[in-house]
Amino acid sequence: MADYQLIIIGGGLAGLAAGIRAARFGLKPLIIEQHSLPGGLNSYYFRQGHLLETGLHAMTNFAPPGVKHAPLNRLFRQLQLSRKEFVTHEQLESEVFFPQASLRFSNNLDLLYEEIAARFPMSIDRFRAVVKEVKAYNPFAEVPWRSARTFLRSRLGEPLLEDMLLLPLMVYGNAEEDDMDLGQFAIMFQAVFLEGFFRPKGTIKDLLELLLAQYRHFGGEIRFRSSVTQILSIGDRVQGIRLQNGEELLADAVLSTAGIPGTAEMSGWSLEESRYIGKMSFMETIYLLPELSLPPEHRAKTIIFYNLNNELVYHRPTEPIDSSWGVICFPGNFHDLPKNSPVQVRVTNAANYDHWQQITPEEYLQLKEKCGQQTSTAVSKILGDYNQNAVFHDSFTPTTIERYTGKRAGAVYGSPVKIKSGKTPWKNLFIAGTDQGYLGIVGAMLSGVTIVNQHLLR
Amino acid sequence: MTRDDIKEVILEIIKDIDEEAEFSDLDDDKPLRDQLDLDSMDFLDIVMELRKRYKLQIPEEDYPQLATLMSCVNYLEPKLKDA
Repeated sequence: MADYQLIIIGGGLAGLAAGIRAARFGLKPLIIEQHSLPGGLNSYYFRQGHLLETGLHAMTNFAPPGVKHAPLNRLFRQLQLSRKEFVTHEQLESEVFFPQASLRFSNNLDLLYEEIAARFPMSIDRFRAVVKEVKAYNPFAEVPWRSARTFLRSRLGEPLLEDMLLLPLMVYGNAEEDDMDLGQFAIMFQAVFLEGFFRPKGTIKDLLELLLAQYRHFGGEIRFRSSVTQILSIGDRVQGIRLQNGEELLADAVLSTAGIPGTAEMSGWSLEESRYIGKMSFMETIYLLPELSLPPEHRAKTIIFYNLNNELVYHRPTEPIDSSWGVICFPGNFHDLPKNSPVQVRVTNAANYDHWQQITPEEYLQLKEKCGQQTSTAVSKILGDYNQNAVFHDSFTPTTIERYTGKRAGAVYGSPVKIKSGKTPWKNLFIAGTDQGYLGIVGAMLSGVTIVNQHLLR
Repeated sequence: MTRDDIKEVILEIIKDIDEEAEFSDLDDDKPLRDQLDLDSMDFLDIVMELRKRYKLQIPEEDYPQLATLMSCVNYLEPKLKDA
């Protein structure tokens, strides 16, 4: 007799959502989370009395209540959470900033149409056709990899617009370098341009507590500060797990949200590991400022996706970080948020894991400081002296991400090769989360839901 | 359970699945999915809920028999007669 019907490795958003589904329909689940807080990549920590979120800039996939087929609302139904009681704040507007042009967009697609019509008059009809095509595309069909760049090149014939559209989509969800799978592109295009950005009321802590409460309400169990060292198996079936303290727990099925490389390590799954370790990682700096003084054209923006080069190079940098392109996020700039002081600004740049991993703790601190300065120098070119009066700043790096999320090489978007079916060589071991192919907070939760529905509830 | 009871149960389950479900114009003989704008994930929840509440195992090949409210009642009546 197994101790649990389902053991879920990882208490991030995918694991929590999977747990709620399983518990809701009477499976007895246990979530094992290595840290003292839930959330994985999307968690939080405290510094000098401030709650700081780790992953959340904005949630994508905005949909008002009542739009039944929207991923966000489907997700809430699946978790039996009230969408009506879930208060959201939509973005003000965001911007893609390149040296040659800039494009504003919001949760109303008309703004992007207007901006493209003004900056790229030759391409606006072609862009409208792309929107239609993306809407009709089924990104979940299991088809061979197709290049999003080739698709955009053939449809738009305008490399600058192609780069400008790809920057937000890649930086918010592409595990591959340089190009992106067309299915992933369609998912991200829908999530960012067609549905849009929002924040839940409060912080990520409130959302995590809501999920945890629902999980426990249905009878789910969770253990924090507990790591799985091995997934136990006999033949083509897994039997359960062994914890770091030597304890063994038996389960009818195991769902791992630890990524493909992490799951391989625990289970002895022989695969060519390097193929499944993503190259794209990031350093993020959080500034707290008494107030914001920005050039008029960049005020009241929610997110600025910037690129100071002529072309977009979405690639692991050779240096520790590449500050020439990145993301500037203003978490206070959403509709109907109370004015908060201090104001938060977050800047994200691509980073090279190897540089951060090979150094001593002392060198690490120095490198963090140096890269932080590179970041502010680059951002100053757009925003002026935005951070002069910063009362506080803190950065996290690829090694921080790896330590707290278990994502190998700090690859926030996981493996460039996804396993959409969630299947492994073992009949009752499944994967969910980033490496199953859904991205973002809503995506991660839908991944957990989908895998439980497909493989465990039938 | 009587046919009316079964109908009540189905509606209650749907209300549980979708807080916005509107039953006032519901036609017993038209597909539930179209009328209530439900998708396959919601539909699975009806099956799961029946399993949870009444230990009913509904094989996948029988799902089409749950298409309308009337067909649900017809299909479930013999299975739930002692429930």
